[in-house]
Amino acid sequence: MGFELLIGLGGLVALVGLIAIRVPVAYAMATVGMAGIFMLSGPAILMSQLKSLGFGVFSNYDLSVVPMFILMGQVASKAGLSQALFRAANAWLGRLPGGVAMAAIAACAGFGSVCGSSLATASTMGQVALPELRRYKYSPALATGTLAAGGVLGILIPPSVVLVIYAVLVEANIVTMFSAALLPGLMAVLFFMVVIAIYVWLVPDAGPKGEPVSRAELLGATAGILPVLGIFGLVIGGIYMGLFTPTPAAAIGVFLVVVYGVARRMVSWGAMRDAVLETAKASGMIYMIVLGAELLKIFMSRGGVPQAAAEMMLNSGLSAHMILIILLLSLILLGCLMDSLSMILLVMPFFWPVVAQLDFGMSPEDTKIWFGVLALIVVELGLITPPVGMNVFVINAMARDVPMMETFKGAMPFFAAEVVRVVLLIAFPAIVLFLPNALS
Amino acid sequence: MATTNPHPASLLVRRATAIWALLGGVVIGLVVAANVWSVAGGALFSRPVPGVYEIVQVGVAMGMFMFLPYCQITGANVSADIFTARLRGRAQDSLAALGSTIALAFAAFLLWRMYYGLIDLQEYRETTTIYQFPIWIAYVPVLISLALLSLAALVNLIEAVTGTTPEREGAVH
Repeated sequence: MGFELLIGLGGLVALVGLIAIRVPVAYAMATVGMAGIFMLSGPAILMSQLKSLGFGVFSNYDLSVVPMFILMGQVASKAGLSQALFRAANAWLGRLPGGVAMAAIAACAGFGSVCGSSLATASTMGQVALPELRRYKYSPALATGTLAAGGVLGILIPPSVVLVIYAVLVEANIVTMFSAALLPGLMAVLFFMVVIAIYVWLVPDAGPKGEPVSRAELLGATAGILPVLGIFGLVIGGIYMGLFTPTPAAAIGVFLVVVYGVARRMVSWGAMRDAVLETAKASGMIYMIVLGAELLKIFMSRGGVPQAAAEMMLNSGLSAHMILIILLLSLILLGCLMDSLSMILLVMPFFWPVVAQLDFGMSPEDTKIWFGVLALIVVELGLITPPVGMNVFVINAMARDVPMMETFKGAMPFFAAEVVRVVLLIAFPAIVLFLPNALS
Repeated sequence: MATTNPHPASLLVRRATAIWALLGGVVIGLVVAANVWSVAGGALFSRPVPGVYEIVQVGVAMGMFMFLPYCQITGANVSADIFTARLRGRAQDSLAALGSTIALAFAAFLLWRMYYGLIDLQEYRETTTIYQFPIWIAYVPVLISLALLSLAALVNLIEAVTGTTPEREGAVH
């Protein structure tokens, strides 16, 4: 083993150590990255690179959709969009057994179509749907589990911040990634509803029927979601149809959501201020991690660690699909430690060179898209599983009387559905690749 | 440890970072407006704003740097808690102090280096392609942001050492 590779591996150990003692992931990456560049390339290179590296990373055009989509989601959660979505979904589905929970899933999916983050979707829809689920005497496990799982749809249904970061890292087209994630996202919605149907079939008391609604209410509630459909149609539809690229689309999305909120008198100056500050926190954290990851990436590729890891995997004699499954399983394990974005930024420089060399009987471009969607699903699983299931924490904090374990239990059937979905997507890559190929 | 009232100096820095972040929000809002204007102008009068690409790059970079101090002082940077969640208050505080020290060192180091970056940009008269906008001007708010980021990390450090962090969270993160 060469000296440089040794330093690189030492850097990885130091990184894990720093993260374990709760140094923020971004700073842990930056510190190790800088120390490594210092050792392998010398102080002069490090000093001169830092003069412009930060601005270079922050002015990446493709990343600019991140703060905009986050702002759009933040304003949307203040604009009363979530109430409108839930009301309409409940008018259609509420009368079925388990119907109110299904309505919550549908509303989460609708909210996910304007919001790129799981936590924002879980907390926004939780505030709207949780009181209703409890009013209809849904079991605490099903009610909170449904919302924790439904929140994941925020990121599975485009726009998705994680997909943007993946696209930037592996130099994929963001539009292609968004279109690839759409069918699998709708599949998740369907699967989640099936999970609820089976759940209430086995445990009828867990999800009683809601009240049937009048035709007038049905029409009124449906009309209430027309603005949401319009915004989604214009923003995401416009991106798919090639009317505009993601950055202008995100800007238009922000603009329309603000107009909608102001028109409904839900978005005041105070609400705008809160939305901007929340955006500052969420997107500032992401940019900081991206900067840290960039420094780490420079160090690691100088040390030759990704190449060595790829070589080791490829010479292991395992089949392509075996290696893929090992990589996805290790992402699930890592999900117990850190959030999905840090994870994608940390591992993709190592994983992508491996996957790029594997032969799955499809073009390298298709492999890139397919692997991105699989990784997206897998990293989000950490949100609903112990020990750091953030979605579960968020929902559980709203229902103080429900023990945390109940919520985790309620989320388990949805976790199982996700595993089935990943297996299906591995077996039938066409589900992912159909739409991007049809559009291009 | 009970939350004591934050020191006036800490409150001042907190307020400054929030105002600075809101100004960053205004910058990003302008970028949003330029994009909407460009799409609308392109669709209605076939006259899009020229070089929106540049406005996005420079504007978002400035705005995002301006978000960082607020992000730091509110403890929004993600960290992994599962190994340390069971530690007692004092130990938690020492780890928070370590994290803040690293943040402070990084921010101050970057401030120092990017100051020389600014001087380079001035010297070589680097501008954006279409608007001929001198890039060093964009570095001014960036340097202020990094100074404020160092200050925010310093406040976090002092609060961790004295055990007075207002937003100390539970096991979440």
